Amino acid sequence: MLSRFLAIVLLLGGSVTAIPAIADIAVIVNPANSVTLTTDELTRLYTGRSSALAAVNIAESSPLRSQFDEKGVGRSSAQLKAHWSKLVFTGKGTPPPELATEAAVIEHVAQNPNAVGYVDVASVTDAVKVVLTLN
Amino acid sequence: MRKSLLALSLAVAFIPVTAYPNTTINGFASIKAGMTTGSDERLYGYDDTLDFKNESLIALQVKSDLGDKLSVTAQLLGRGRDDFDVGFEWAFISYELSDNMTINAGRLRTPFYKYSDFKDVGYAYDWLRVPQGVYGLGFDTIEGLTFYRTAQIGSVDSTLQLIFGGYDGNASLSGAQVSAQIDNVTGITWELAKDAFSARFAYLTGKTSIDTSPVTLAPGFTVGNLYQALAANGLTPLVTAIDIDDESSNFIGVGLTYDDSDWIAVAEYTRVEVENSFIATQKNWYVSLGKRFDGITPYISYERENNDAVVSIYQPYTGVLPPQLLVPVQGLVASQERDASTWNLGVRYDFHPSAAFKAQYSSEDSDTTGQRNGVLAFGIDLVF
Repeated sequence: MLSRFLAIVLLLGGSVTAIPAIADIAVIVNPANSVTLTTDELTRLYTGRSSALAAVNIAESSPLRSQFDEKGVGRSSAQLKAHWSKLVFTGKGTPPPELATEAAVIEHVAQNPNAVGYVDVASVTDAVKVVLTLN
Repeated sequence: MRKSLLALSLAVAFIPVTAYPNTTINGFASIKAGMTTGSDERLYGYDDTLDFKNESLIALQVKSDLGDKLSVTAQLLGRGRDDFDVGFEWAFISYELSDNMTINAGRLRTPFYKYSDFKDVGYAYDWLRVPQGVYGLGFDTIEGLTFYRTAQIGSVDSTLQLIFGGYDGNASLSGAQVSAQIDNVTGITWELAKDAFSARFAYLTGKTSIDTSPVTLAPGFTVGNLYQALAANGLTPLVTAIDIDDESSNFIGVGLTYDDSDWIAVAEYTRVEVENSFIATQKNWYVSLGKRFDGITPYISYERENNDAVVSIYQPYTGVLPPQLLVPVQGLVASQERDASTWNLGVRYDFHPSAAFKAQYSSEDSDTTGQRNGVLAFGIDLVF
């Protein structure tokens, strides 16, 4: 009985520590860009329904990616990949390019006036401008 | 001179793909296995021995951006049921007229259904296979031109597609492979999406010719023999009414989808008509409902096929037709009768960022034959 209880506690404890820290995400653009963004518009940009800005993603290996897919686009990473595979294999679209690190996203957005990306709020530098914060 | 040319072409051939920043290679694959639930059952190409080949496929797509709004896309696909012989499923050039207008030319997918364009990309949807009662028409590809226009009407996303072209290939008729042609295919599809809802409408027309003469009606007696015998009896008008020779044809499709990320519901209705032929008007539909629990999506769907044989074709001739000709005519027309319903129960499990495991049980009941056929299949769909 006790061992069973312990097992459950351990299991719960284990699953709690397995969840990555949930960060606030800053959606960033080039400082020269005066655009304002709503979450609707963000969804459109990251699902290929708008090309008003050139969206970039962070690599799937980053935990930030799945958090952004959920909070920024409102879908799970798998749903979003299924959505993009519809567009890719019918020649209708190409998903946003992936950059390996948050530093690379900041550098890309700082250098491209039309780019939009996202990083952990704690990683934002003054090379970029925050247009939306997701929490 | 020759040698250096060879050396040069070898050198070019061995430049790694990454040397072309504007060329992307993607692919998808499905490895599926299935079998029927009874020894006398046949469904979707399965019988009662476990088969890993029938619904498995692998595809590679190369897209090259040539700059100045021009790109070329080729998709090579091999199906297990064809021994993985590879063919071009799509091959087209694409020109962006503007941000929201594109024109494609080449080999394209005929846009009959909501899932036509990507029905081979299993990863893109939850089912193990698209509902065969509706999607079993054939004529999947078309050679021609298509024009896309996307727009925002208020808060509604609109996608309009026009298509022109022709089909020249094979068709399956009563289980036999026959050559078929659809000329002057002209079609329009329109999809509207707002939040979780989307609606799609498709209308296509064309002139269909199907060479049915090799189809066997009885041992040593083909449809071609029947037509000859009818003509010899002075019944050429009946031959004209039965055969499929440059006949006006039309397709209507209506689709509705609700997808709020938790629940997904899909319904499609289609109607296919080939005028002035023994082909029955096909009125088919399905409804499907799924619920997403994190990475696990169970779903249930129901399909209905209702094709009434066009017995009116030969009714004016029943008095004049000798029995040895009336019986095969009746048989040919009756072969198109189909009244069937199918239940599907399945699950998708996203066990990997690029791959999904699926399992599905399908049970088809045919009122026409009185036969029930069940298939259990499972497998993996992935994209790369």
